[in-house]
Amino acid sequence: MCAYAIQVSGSSMNAVQRFIRSKVLLLTAAILIAAMCLSVLVQSQSQAALNRTVDENSRGLYDVLVQAKASSGTLLQPEIATGTGGIGFDQLEAIRKLSGTAVAAPISLVSRVTQNLETPRLDAMDFLGYNSGLAGTATADQATGATAPDKWPAAESVLTDEAKKYRLTASAVSSDGVSEQTLFKSSAEGTLGKAKLLEEKAGGGSSIRIAAPEDETGIKFPSPAGGSEHNLFNLSVALPMAPEVTESVVAVDPASERALLGTAGDFLAPLEKAPPADARNAGAVGRYFEGLFTNGIDLSELEEGPDFLGVKLKYWAPLMTQYQQAKRTGELTGDSQAIPLVVRSGTSLDLTYNVKIEEIDDAGKVVNDVGTVSRSLGKDYLPFVSKDPFVLSWPGSTDHSSLLGSNGNFNQGLYTPAKWSTDFSAAPKYQDGETAANGAEGKTAVPGEWVTVNRLPEKSATGGPVDQTQREPVDERSYRDSVATGQKLAAPLAMVYGTFDPAAVSQAAGDVNKLPLGGYDPTPFSLVKDAEGKAANAELQPSLSATGLASQSAGAITDYYGLAAARGYTENAAVIDAVRVRATAPGSWKEAQPEVEKLAADIRSMGLEATVVAGSAREDASIFVPGYSKDDAGKESALGTVQQSWVRQNAADAVTGSLSGTNITLLFLTLCGAALLTGASTVSYIRKRRTEAGTLRAMGWTQRRIRSWVLAEFGVGAILLAAAGALLSLLSWSLTTVLVTAAVLVLYAGAALFAAQQLRHRDVVDQEPQHDERLIPVDSPLTFANRQLATNKFNTLSLAIAVGVFGAAVGGLISLLIDIPRAAGASALSGLAAASVALPSILLAVAGVAVGLVLTLVTGRFELNAKRQYLGILAAMGWNPDMLRQVRLFENALVGTVALPLGVLGALGIGLLLAPYAALWAGVAGLVAVLCWIPIATKVVQ
Amino acid sequence: MTNPTNVQRSRRGGAGEVPLQTRANTIVKAADHATPLELSDITIRYGGGKGGAEAVSVVEGFDLTLHAGEMHCVAGRSGSGKTSILTVGAGLTLPTSGRVFWEGDSLESMGDDEIADRRRALIGYVDQGGALIDGMSALENVLLPAVPDGEVDQRRDMAKDLLDLVGLGRRMRHRPAQLSGGERQRVAIARALILGTRVLVVDEPTASLDRASANRIISILKDTTSDGIAVLVASHDHELVRLSDTLTELI
Repeated sequence: MCAYAIQVSGSSMNAVQRFIRSKVLLLTAAILIAAMCLSVLVQSQSQAALNRTVDENSRGLYDVLVQAKASSGTLLQPEIATGTGGIGFDQLEAIRKLSGTAVAAPISLVSRVTQNLETPRLDAMDFLGYNSGLAGTATADQATGATAPDKWPAAESVLTDEAKKYRLTASAVSSDGVSEQTLFKSSAEGTLGKAKLLEEKAGGGSSIRIAAPEDETGIKFPSPAGGSEHNLFNLSVALPMAPEVTESVVAVDPASERALLGTAGDFLAPLEKAPPADARNAGAVGRYFEGLFTNGIDLSELEEGPDFLGVKLKYWAPLMTQYQQAKRTGELTGDSQAIPLVVRSGTSLDLTYNVKIEEIDDAGKVVNDVGTVSRSLGKDYLPFVSKDPFVLSWPGSTDHSSLLGSNGNFNQGLYTPAKWSTDFSAAPKYQDGETAANGAEGKTAVPGEWVTVNRLPEKSATGGPVDQTQREPVDERSYRDSVATGQKLAAPLAMVYGTFDPAAVSQAAGDVNKLPLGGYDPTPFSLVKDAEGKAANAELQPSLSATGLASQSAGAITDYYGLAAARGYTENAAVIDAVRVRATAPGSWKEAQPEVEKLAADIRSMGLEATVVAGSAREDASIFVPGYSKDDAGKESALGTVQQSWVRQNAADAVTGSLSGTNITLLFLTLCGAALLTGASTVSYIRKRRTEAGTLRAMGWTQRRIRSWVLAEFGVGAILLAAAGALLSLLSWSLTTVLVTAAVLVLYAGAALFAAQQLRHRDVVDQEPQHDERLIPVDSPLTFANRQLATNKFNTLSLAIAVGVFGAAVGGLISLLIDIPRAAGASALSGLAAASVALPSILLAVAGVAVGLVLTLVTGRFELNAKRQYLGILAAMGWNPDMLRQVRLFENALVGTVALPLGVLGALGIGLLLAPYAALWAGVAGLVAVLCWIPIATKVVQ
Repeated sequence: MTNPTNVQRSRRGGAGEVPLQTRANTIVKAADHATPLELSDITIRYGGGKGGAEAVSVVEGFDLTLHAGEMHCVAGRSGSGKTSILTVGAGLTLPTSGRVFWEGDSLESMGDDEIADRRRALIGYVDQGGALIDGMSALENVLLPAVPDGEVDQRRDMAKDLLDLVGLGRRMRHRPAQLSGGERQRVAIARALILGTRVLVVDEPTASLDRASANRIISILKDTTSDGIAVLVASHDHELVRLSDTLTELI
C-alpha cells in the first residue's frame, strides 16, 4: 500500500495514521469484521450442532416401512396395522434375504375380539357365623389359610332380620374425555333381609340350608340377569349385563419383533416358545389340562401355572373355561385352535359400572339412601383374563369368604368363549386440508358407516336369549370397512401366555422417530377445538361412547399361526399388513442414508411400497371430525378438531434445509445491517473530510491525488478486512465465509469509491432557489422541527432508515426468543434442531440490534453539531428549555414516524422468515422499539 | 492568558477621555430598575475540572452598568473574554462568580424558564457572524423569536419593516446561504429587534466585513440607541469603538 504524507492540521500523517484518526472508518471496519466472525459462528457451530441433532434423532428402531400400497401423502397415518394385508410371506423372506436387511419384522391386524364381561353382581355381607352344622360343612374341605371354625367371628350382616324394601339402580357409563355416555340404566325393587341357617329333618337324618326371611321377595333384574340368592357369607344380587368390550389382536413374528425391540420385547419370549400350528388343536390342549387336573395338581403349581411345553401357563383358566363352555355348547370342533396370546396389562378404556341402593317404602318413596357403589376397568384389568371385573360390594360389607382359605384362581378368565371377528379394519380415511404456517397438515376425517357396537351378547351365560331392550344401543361412528373373508371358521380359544406393557414398548421406540409399531402403541388424540370452533383441551380416551377415533393398544399379540387360525388363510396368503425393516448399515442417519436408500430401492423393485422413515419426525396433524355423534332425531353433530401426532417424512432434510435457510437469512440481514452502517459511516466520513479536501485542493492537489488520498485511508481498512476474512476462511474452511468476506470487501470498496468521488470535486456553487412560500410557515416547535428535517432530507432519511433497521432487528430478536422451538419448522425434530442453533441465532439477532443501534448513533452524529448550533441560536433568542425539548422531541417523532413502516414491516418480514408463529409479536416489538427510540434519542441530544 | 485586570473608560457626561480606572474588588449594588443590564464583579474561568487542565482566568472582577440608549463596547484582543462577557450578560452562560442584573433583578434568583422568558422580552442577542437557521428564509429567521409567544403572524409586518430598516427588504425570501456575511449580520440584528428588545447584545458584528458593510452595521446599531435601546457590543473595530458611548477594553 502506498502512503501519502500530507500536511493536515499542522501534522504529517500517513494513511494508517489517518485511518486510525478517523474513528468512523475504524468503527466501520471493526463492525464488518464482527459481522464476518458471526458468519463463521453460524456456519460452523450452529451447522455442526444442527447436523448432530438431526443425526442423533432421526434413526429409530427401523429405517424402512414396507407396505403393499403407496401412501399418497407425505404424512403416515399413526396406525398402520389395518388387517388389509397385501404382503406375502415369500416377499417377507425376499426382504430378509436382501444384503442390507438386518431385521424385517412383519405385523398384521388379526381380529377384533369381543369379550363378554357378563355376570356383574352386588354382594351384600350376610355372614351367618359358626354353628355346628356349618362347621361340619365348612371344615370338610378346609383349604390352605382357612380359619378354624371355632375361631370364626360372630355373625354379622348389613341386612336386617325383618326384610326391608330396596330399589337397586344399575348403570354403566363410559367417557371419551369429552363427554360421558350412559350405556344403560336399569332398576329393580324387592325386599331383602338377613338369612338364617335352618336344620331340617329329613328321612335318614337332617340337612342344613340357608333360608331367607319369610317376608323377603328378593330382587330380580330382567333376564338374562338372575335374581338374588343367599350364600354362606353374603347375599348376592345378579346385576344387568356389563357392556361388551372389543379388543384388537395383532400378529407379529416373535423372533424378529424381539430383535427389533431389544430388551423391551422380552415379553414376547413365551410367545416365541408357543407350539406350532399342528400342536395347537384346542380340543387336544383342553384335554391335556383336564388330564392335569384329573391326575391331581397342587395349589402352588396352579398359582405359578402348569407347565405347557416349557412355558409356565399362569393364565390357564381362560382356556379351560372357554374349552368347557365350547364343549358343552357344541362349538368346539376338530378344527378349533388354541391361539397363544400375550395380553396388554391394564386398559385405558373408560368404563364404570354403578349401582345405586335405596331403601324405599311401599309407595316407592325413598326412606334411606344406602349409597352408590361403582367399579371401573383399570390397570388391574387384563383382556381375556379378567372375568368379572364388576363385582360390587354393598356399603359397609366385609368379605368373610376368606375364612375358608384360598381355593386358587379357578374363577379367573373368560366365562364364555370370546367372539372373534374379522370385520375390520380399513384405516381412517382422511382428506387433505390446508397447510398451516408451520407446515402442519390439516386433515378431515371422512365418516364411515354407522354401526351398533354397544350391544348385549346375543346369548346369556346359560345359552338363553338376551333381552336387548335392557339398554339403548349406542350408535358409534366406525372408521373400518368390512373385509369379511366369507369363510366360517371354527371358534378359536384364547390361550394367554403373558402380558405386556404398551408404555414400555412405546418408550423403547424413542420419541422423535417413534413410528407406529402397528396397533399396540396407537398415538393418542387430543381435542383442540370443539364443534363451535372454540378452543378445547381434552385428551380423547378409548370409550364405549361415540368415539370411533380414539383407540387403545391392541388387547393381545399373537403370531402368524394365530392369525391363520383366526382368519383361516391358506399358505402364503398376502396377510402381512406391513414390514418394518432395519438396515444393517450402522451409524448416524447421514452415514447410513445411502445404504438405507439402496435397501428401500431394492424393496421397491419387488413391487412393494418402501418408505424411508429414518430421518422422519413427529408432527401434529389436525383432523376435523364431522358427524361424531347423532341425537335421537338422527341429527349428526361434529366433534371438532382433534390433533394427533403423525409422522413427517424426510423431516431431517427439511429441517436441515430450513434451518440452513434461517441462518442464511440471519446472515443476510446482518450483512444488510453492515451495508447500511457502511453507508452511514461513509456519509459521515465525507462530511468530516470535506473541509480538508477543500484545503488540499487549495494547496494545489489534483483530483487524482485527492482520490488516492481517500482511497489510501479506505485501503487500510480493506487490508484489515481482507486479513480477517482470510483468517476466518482458513479457520472455518467454509465457502460461505469466503463469500461473506468478498461481499464485505465489495461493499467497502464501493463505499471508498463513493467517498473518493465525492471529495475530489469542488463544492458546487449554491444554486438553491429562493424560499418557497408554499412551505408550512414556522410558527411552533413542531413546524420548526418539520422544517429542519425537510431541509436535511438525506440525513433525515438516513436516520429514519437506521431507526427502522433498529426496530426490525429488535422485532426479529423478539420473534426468535418467543418462537425458537418452532423457528424453522413444525416437527419435533425441528424443535430439537432449532434449539441446538438457538444461541447463534440469538447472537445474530442481538448483533442485528447492536448494528441498528450503532447505525442510529452514527447517523445521528451527522447533525449533532448542527443541532447544537441551532438549538443554541434558539436559546439565545429566548426559546425556553421546554420549547427546545419540544423541538428535539418533534424532530425525533417525525423521524420515528418515517421509520415506523420500515421497522414494523421489517420486523414482520423477519418474523415470517424466522419464526412464523411469532411474526405478529415481531411487528409489535418493532413498533415498540421505534417508539421507545424517540424519547431516548430526545434525551441523548439534550 | 489574560490579564485579570479589567479597565473601563467612559465618555458619558464629558467630552474628554476618562482616565483608566481599576474596578477590581468594588462592591456593586443593583442599579435602579431603569438600568436594563448590570454586571457586577464578574469572574469567568475556564478549565480546572476533572480533566486536569490548568484553570484559565479569562475575566476577573468585571463590572458594567448599561443604561438605556447607551452603546457600550467591549474591546480587546482575541481570547481576551469579550464573547464570554456578552454571553454572561445575555444570560446564556453562568459566570464563575459575580452577579448579573436584568432591570435590577438578579439572574441568580431565576430559573431557566424565567431567564428564557425575560431574555426574550429584554435582550436581543446577535452571535458572531450572525448565526441564522439554514433552510429558513430571512423573514422566517427574523420571526423565530415570536414563535414561543405565538405572535408570528402579528409580527410579520414588523419583521418586514425591520428587514427594510436594515436594507434587506428585497432579500427577505432568501435563505442564509444566499446572503453575504454582512447581510446575514443585518438579518440577525433585525431578528434581535423583533420583540422590541431593550438591550441588544452583539458579538463582533463587523468582523470579516468590508468597510462599507461594517459601517452600515455600525449605523444600524447606532440608530437603535436613539430609540432607547441599550447596545452591548464586543468588537475591536476602531470605528465602532469610536462611536460607542462607553468602552471596556480588556487587556
